[in-house]
Amino acid sequence: MDVLQQLVNGLSLGALYALIAVGYTVVYGIVQLINFAHGEIFMIGGFGALAVWLLFPAGNVSIWMLPLMLFGGVVAAVGVALLTERFAYRPLRNAPRLAPLITAIGVSIFLQELIRLFYGDIPGFPDSKRAIPFPQIEYVTGPAFNMGGLTIQRAALFTLVALAICAGLLYVFVNKTRLGRAMQATSQDPDTARLMGINVDKIIMVAFALGAALAAVAGLAHGLRYTNVDFRMGFLAGLKAFTAAVLGGIGNINGAVLGGLVLGVVEGMATFIPGQFGGSAWKDVWAFALLILVLVFRPQGLLGARVVDRA
Amino acid sequence: MITLPTLVTPELQQRHGSRGRIIALFGGVLLIIAPFLPWAYSARALDDMTFLVDPSPLQYLGLVLGAIIVAFLVLQQVLKPAPRRPRTACVPGARAGATGALIYVVLILVSISVELGGAVNVMYGGWVALVATLLAFVGTRLMPTGRPPTLAAATAPAPLEVLAIAGLMAAALFAAAYALDQDDAGIFVSFLAFVGAVVAVMIRSGVMGWLSAVSQRHKKVLILAAFLVAFMFPFTQDGSDANMSIATQVIIFAATAMGLNIVVGLAGLLDLGYIAFLGAGAFVAAILSESAFSTINWHPPFIVVVLISGTVAAALGLIIGSPTLRVSGDYLAIVTLAFGEIFRISMNNLDGEDGPDLTNGSNGIPAIPELNFFGFDFGIRHELIGVPLGRFSNYYFLLLLVIGLIILVFTRLNNSRIGRGWVAIREDERAAEAMGVNVFGLKLFAFAGGAFLAGVAGSIKAHQDVSVTPDQYVFLESAFLLAAIVLGGMGTVLGVLIGATLLKLMPEKLRFVSEYRLLIFGLVLVLMMRFRPEGLVANQRRQLEFHEEDEELADRISDEIAETGTVKGAT
Amino acid sequence: MTQVQTTAPTTDRDAPILAAENVTMRFGGLTAVDSVSFRVMPGEIVGLIGPNGAGKTTFFNCLTGLYLPTAGRVVFNGAVLPPKPRKVVQAGMARTFQNIRLFANMTALENVMVGRYCRTSAGAFTSIIRGPKFRREERETRERAQQLLDFVGLGPTTDALARNLPYGDQRRLEIARALATDPKLVLLDEPTAGMNPQETRQAEELIFRIRDRGLAVVVIEHDMRFIFNLCDRVLCLVQGRALIEGTPAEVQSDPRVIEAYIGTGPDSDAASASEQDRGRTDA
Repeated sequence: MDVLQQLVNGLSLGALYALIAVGYTVVYGIVQLINFAHGEIFMIGGFGALAVWLLFPAGNVSIWMLPLMLFGGVVAAVGVALLTERFAYRPLRNAPRLAPLITAIGVSIFLQELIRLFYGDIPGFPDSKRAIPFPQIEYVTGPAFNMGGLTIQRAALFTLVALAICAGLLYVFVNKTRLGRAMQATSQDPDTARLMGINVDKIIMVAFALGAALAAVAGLAHGLRYTNVDFRMGFLAGLKAFTAAVLGGIGNINGAVLGGLVLGVVEGMATFIPGQFGGSAWKDVWAFALLILVLVFRPQGLLGARVVDRA
Repeated sequence: MITLPTLVTPELQQRHGSRGRIIALFGGVLLIIAPFLPWAYSARALDDMTFLVDPSPLQYLGLVLGAIIVAFLVLQQVLKPAPRRPRTACVPGARAGATGALIYVVLILVSISVELGGAVNVMYGGWVALVATLLAFVGTRLMPTGRPPTLAAATAPAPLEVLAIAGLMAAALFAAAYALDQDDAGIFVSFLAFVGAVVAVMIRSGVMGWLSAVSQRHKKVLILAAFLVAFMFPFTQDGSDANMSIATQVIIFAATAMGLNIVVGLAGLLDLGYIAFLGAGAFVAAILSESAFSTINWHPPFIVVVLISGTVAAALGLIIGSPTLRVSGDYLAIVTLAFGEIFRISMNNLDGEDGPDLTNGSNGIPAIPELNFFGFDFGIRHELIGVPLGRFSNYYFLLLLVIGLIILVFTRLNNSRIGRGWVAIREDERAAEAMGVNVFGLKLFAFAGGAFLAGVAGSIKAHQDVSVTPDQYVFLESAFLLAAIVLGGMGTVLGVLIGATLLKLMPEKLRFVSEYRLLIFGLVLVLMMRFRPEGLVANQRRQLEFHEEDEELADRISDEIAETGTVKGAT
Repeated sequence: MTQVQTTAPTTDRDAPILAAENVTMRFGGLTAVDSVSFRVMPGEIVGLIGPNGAGKTTFFNCLTGLYLPTAGRVVFNGAVLPPKPRKVVQAGMARTFQNIRLFANMTALENVMVGRYCRTSAGAFTSIIRGPKFRREERETRERAQQLLDFVGLGPTTDALARNLPYGDQRRLEIARALATDPKLVLLDEPTAGMNPQETRQAEELIFRIRDRGLAVVVIEHDMRFIFNLCDRVLCLVQGRALIEGTPAEVQSDPRVIEAYIGTGPDSDAASASEQDRGRTDA
């Protein structure tokens, strides 16, 4: 039973990683850029949702707030992602590979600090470095479900359902729409896609926006699940999600979802490692160790990367 | 700067060149006079600019800039162009001087306004200075540039050249000592602007070209002089530890950045977890030190500890590098980042509760004893030729040796078969492999070698900092190291030294930006990559590249000018 | 070190320096190269031609050890080549690239000096202390690289960055870099692609001079006139098979070669198109 409980915990955690990981994988598949700042987009999604909630009379936890908050988070995340793409990454598209990575680090630090500067200046933001409490919306948070000794947090369930819906929509988008097919074509061969009349700039923007929207969903889910948001939360989550993307095979959208779930489960199962190294204090270490192991033994990931090394 | 060239066309310069000279000359002379007038209504602003006829140091610096402008303008008239004589680019020199002076004066006026609350506190002298620099700026912009400088080809008697190097170094020493002494952010920033203006003048006029040619000829003298100056620095501090503490921080930072420079700048491997190697060295040294909190009861002599620290760091580098160096470079960046996190978490966890007790967890290892070499105690104040030298000065000298060693390793390897292999890998990995370069071996060597140097630096840092805790070695520090390299210029020694110094010094001296420090830092990284990816000091190879373009441009412009000139002469 | 004598051809003049024996290369169900045999003698210039998708590149990669053939084997200088580019260079086979791959931000001289890497061995320690071994090797490397630059006619451009050289000079610099590895055999992948007639003539003359130093040369080319002027023997690949091997005159006059190049029915077109597709997925 304990194993099953950890499996459920791991899956819901993995769902969070999966939602973020899609953003890494989509962007990498098209422009071969590790968008290091994607973790911050996730963080901004969470803050965007919070900001919408703050706009309304205090203490409103009605379920009807949820779509509004989601909308706010998505708008904030997509807006910031498109701005960074336009002003930070696009000018460097033909630069040596080191340049966009360093830019990404700069963007990441910049966004974190930008959010931190709001601390203390906006009602609801405490003037300390503490995490900011996130509203607990009715139905999606509250007492956990209990099924035969198995405890499932409502927020965890929300995350899983959100992932299922997002994955479904994503599948339809990528495979059934013109834009989605254009995106696939661009990721296979940008030059030919351009010759075929695909506006590659637009596709890249779509990729950034798509990743940001899913990251915003994750940001909202994270807020509900952990009952707070924090300007630093994107760093570790982003790193984990990247690990998930590599695990599934970077550039491969299905892989990102699978990789996220697997990584979550591995973290959950790390509790069973015997001895002192099994505690939750070490679970991050095991997750990163997994990343290194994957790179050694299966660099193309579980489902195979679209591009391992194009250089 | 971007719109100016389109605003001022060569034709305009041709027509108004002589008028421009008169305006610029007038501006320059006015800038010499302005310092004798009062600039501010209150003595509280900057370094007291309220006096008539008695200029403050900053006002004197304004005078110097005015004199530079006038000198170049006069020189241009006096020096008749001769075919074989090396050319000084007088007008670009004056132009850089005027631009620098404008920035300098504006910064001073802004500082006065900020510190006293409003521009009304600027007295008429300040406005005169502003008008003067504006005139000089416009005037020099109106003058045609003339041909590029060929001063680099000039030779002077050897003693004179050595003297020039000595003078340059002495100026650097005084500038550093003066800048460090300033607690006022306005003075500090203004002074930096002044230094920047002088450097720009030297570059534009060709003096810098001559100086770098001279330093090439007397390389040993230059290196000796540079170290002598660095060595002399503690003697200017009169036993005060305040600035020496900053200076040691700067040197540790610079030394670590220089180690990372081998990995990133030469081999082109983006290592985002480099701080972990510094941390590994520091923790090893702390654990093996005679601190009461050390968890291992073995305390070898320090020289052995240094080697063990380096070796442990290098071993970690091998463990992390050997699996990841085969995959694409992007992966390496993230894996090293993950490694940095693993290191931090592990150090936090090895506290006896979540793991074996090695590091005391987040408390770290405090009370690390001072170093002691053959009875020379680093913790106490010593006196040398009558000058008292405090604790930080002692560490400063030791660290100077370490950074010297790292620079030596860097430059020697760079100019060798191994360095060429690294650069080849950076340029085109597959071609390098196909030409017989041992790509994997060289990458691994760069990675582990860089880690070794960081470990060595860390072992000294542990003693200098007295305590070692995991939260000193977080990702942000790695990002700072990387930023120092990017800002200064990848693969260069001078650039990374400048970058490291700026990054460490700025927050210390500019307390008012400390709130926005990281915000600015992130923005600078982005802007640097966008507008000047080669950094403040361009790499030799890059320089060559830019130099060629510059020459081409200069030739084209001078051809144009020559053409229009003859047309004018004919009519 | 008086003359630029690259290799003392100690090997037996009659033994081939490079021999491919029934080399077959399959990718899944597709046979890209079908039992091709091929030998190169020391001091010989051999051409490799074939229409697009004939398996030239695959065969080339088998020769350079990048691919291990599915069947058959490649013997170089009496031994099977190790499947590692670096080891291949050490064994004495150097190559140039179809799309120039110089170290763009290094000078011409440095590019050639990189080629000397595998023939030198100064380690980190001696490099740091500037030991006698380092100084001797460094001097020799520099002299040798300069000689090679002179040899290919780039003597005056020693300090120019590779990226700033004209196109034809970049091709010659690549050859100089390959020669710096002391090869016994040089593989040139389309050495005249994008060159004007005058540059092509210079390249031809350069390849003759390389041969005169006792090296074997294998050239892949599209330019028929160039190949037939240059080579002692020519191998023509079509759809993965060796169509004909012989002197330029024989190959030139063979009707099948002309047919393969100009194409006949829709059949061959379809076949070469599918091969092209496969090539893309491989790349």
